[in-house]
Amino acid sequence: MSKSVLWWVERALLLLISTIVLFPIAWMFLTAFKRPRDAYSLSLDFSPTLANFATVFSDPWNLGDMVLNSVIVATVTVLIAVPCASLAAYSFSRFRVKGRKFLFFLILSTQFIPAVVIVLPFFLMFRSLGLLDTRVALIVVNLAIVTPFVIWMIKGFIDAIPTDSEEAAMIDGASRLRVIKDIVLPMAAPGILTSSIFCFILTWNEFLFALILTRRDAVTLPVGLVSFRTERGDLWELMSAAGVMITVPIFIMALLIQKHFTRGMTAGAVK
Amino acid sequence: MAEVQLVDVEKRYGAFLAVPKQSLTIEEGEFLVLLGPSGCGKTTTMRMIAGLEEITSGDLMIAGERANDKPPKDRDIAMVFQNYGLYPHMTVGENIGYPLKLRGMDRKARETRVQETAEKVELQALLKRRPSELSGGQRQRVALARAIVRTPKIFLMDEPLSNLDAKLRVTMRAELKHLHHELGVTTVYVTHDQMEAMTLASRVAVMKEGRIVQLDTPKKIYSEPADLFVAGFIGSPSMNLVEGRITGGNFEAQGVSLPVAEPDRGDVVMGIRPEDVQLTRDGDAPISGKLYALELTGDSTLVTLRNGATSICARGPADFEAPIDAPCALAPKPGARIHLFDKKTGQRLDA
Repeated sequence: MSKSVLWWVERALLLLISTIVLFPIAWMFLTAFKRPRDAYSLSLDFSPTLANFATVFSDPWNLGDMVLNSVIVATVTVLIAVPCASLAAYSFSRFRVKGRKFLFFLILSTQFIPAVVIVLPFFLMFRSLGLLDTRVALIVVNLAIVTPFVIWMIKGFIDAIPTDSEEAAMIDGASRLRVIKDIVLPMAAPGILTSSIFCFILTWNEFLFALILTRRDAVTLPVGLVSFRTERGDLWELMSAAGVMITVPIFIMALLIQKHFTRGMTAGAVK
Repeated sequence: MAEVQLVDVEKRYGAFLAVPKQSLTIEEGEFLVLLGPSGCGKTTTMRMIAGLEEITSGDLMIAGERANDKPPKDRDIAMVFQNYGLYPHMTVGENIGYPLKLRGMDRKARETRVQETAEKVELQALLKRRPSELSGGQRQRVALARAIVRTPKIFLMDEPLSNLDAKLRVTMRAELKHLHHELGVTTVYVTHDQMEAMTLASRVAVMKEGRIVQLDTPKKIYSEPADLFVAGFIGSPSMNLVEGRITGGNFEAQGVSLPVAEPDRGDVVMGIRPEDVQLTRDGDAPISGKLYALELTGDSTLVTLRNGATSICARGPADFEAPIDAPCALAPKPGARIHLFDKKTGQRLDA
């Protein structure tokens, strides 16, 4: 019966790890619905309230503006990064150009530089351009961060598509662009969608650049969280409510990813 | 319909020479089979015609026009891929209709044409399905239907039957032959299956290491193989090949003494097909040895005889029986062909 012992050990470990991982999240969700006086107690016995959400959305916190900033920055970043990255990924996957490997390495190598190292040059650059505290600056920076990642991800998905179907389409009379539109994109769609959501999450959670490059107008949600550390102390219940606002969209997206990620689109193309 | 000409066409991948410089003319309406073992360059040659592989040097002419730099879509060809190359996100009907859609045919005309084509390959009941819901044979037929839905200048078929089971392969072979007869479109067909090549081809090009070793009708390839490679590759079971020498107008090897029409010389390989050898009770038969194996194939028995290094297989009557190791004698049938090759170069001697 050693197998059943192992089974129990496994479950116990899984439970332990999940507890450790989920505890802060659960704590945040509970605190978001607590009154200030209950915020420091771990008790589950409290009368839930939506007041914290009302507070964070009103003056002086104005979380609504930050939500809007975050949504615009993340959405525009995805809308630009994913189409560009898809075309780049297709090229890297299919065209045997000289120096292709080096070029691909070069693109990935931009990810090796720690953000802290380049945040100051970025700050100076955007100050010269007069773009400090604008969404445009954040979008540009986020594009620089996520595009290499997304190229790399989508290339993986396109690599997995057999070239036979593409060649068949070319012989059937399709141009290269038509092949991409009719054959490659539909087959890579689950991968591209996954990459888009991944890209959205990265941008949504980006903190360092948003902290340095924004002051008032273009502040995003993660930076907004910091403002709940005031001279009156840390306002945990408000911070939690804002935290919930940041987390929930990501939760929903993670669920969407799961659903699409498991479904293969290439089945049936070749033997 | 069109004539296809390869003039001094060569294909290199960096330093690797895949297909050495050679010329080939595929006549209008012809069914040409490129036959050879895997890695012999037959698929590369076909892909150069299709435009899926760049031609390193030389000219490709389709219907008298240089086609080297034409993209595949402008060459007016249809191709059946070994791995089908279907569009998994489209239904069977959409797969078949895609070439028509690209040519701007309107929906209604397209549907009628798809329906007609589907009937030809017996797919009409499956038009709404997706490729992933089909069996291998059905997918193969979708690939075929997609190729024949329009009438191109050239058909290219890359081992289109290799993924089918033995029975379906024979049926589809006959269908392909009939289709070629019906449409009369110039067809290039790649296979490593000599049976397919023999049954389908107007002419067969046997390839080895990128080179066309022999280009001829199936009949000629079978009866007059140009060298040892072709001799051993064509025919099932393959031709018996025995090393020996010619002395006094006789081919001599261990257990073999056959009169031949070539001048005396050493280093000769004699070839004779199992179909051309028969069992004999004659005391001084030209081939003698001990019975090594008996294999009943249904309509006949393959009798293998051995004598030292000599091993010869003959196709005998189905009811032939004898104990293993029994002395055994064989003789060429009247009118049998005895092929002689140079052992060093492999070339046919009477060529």
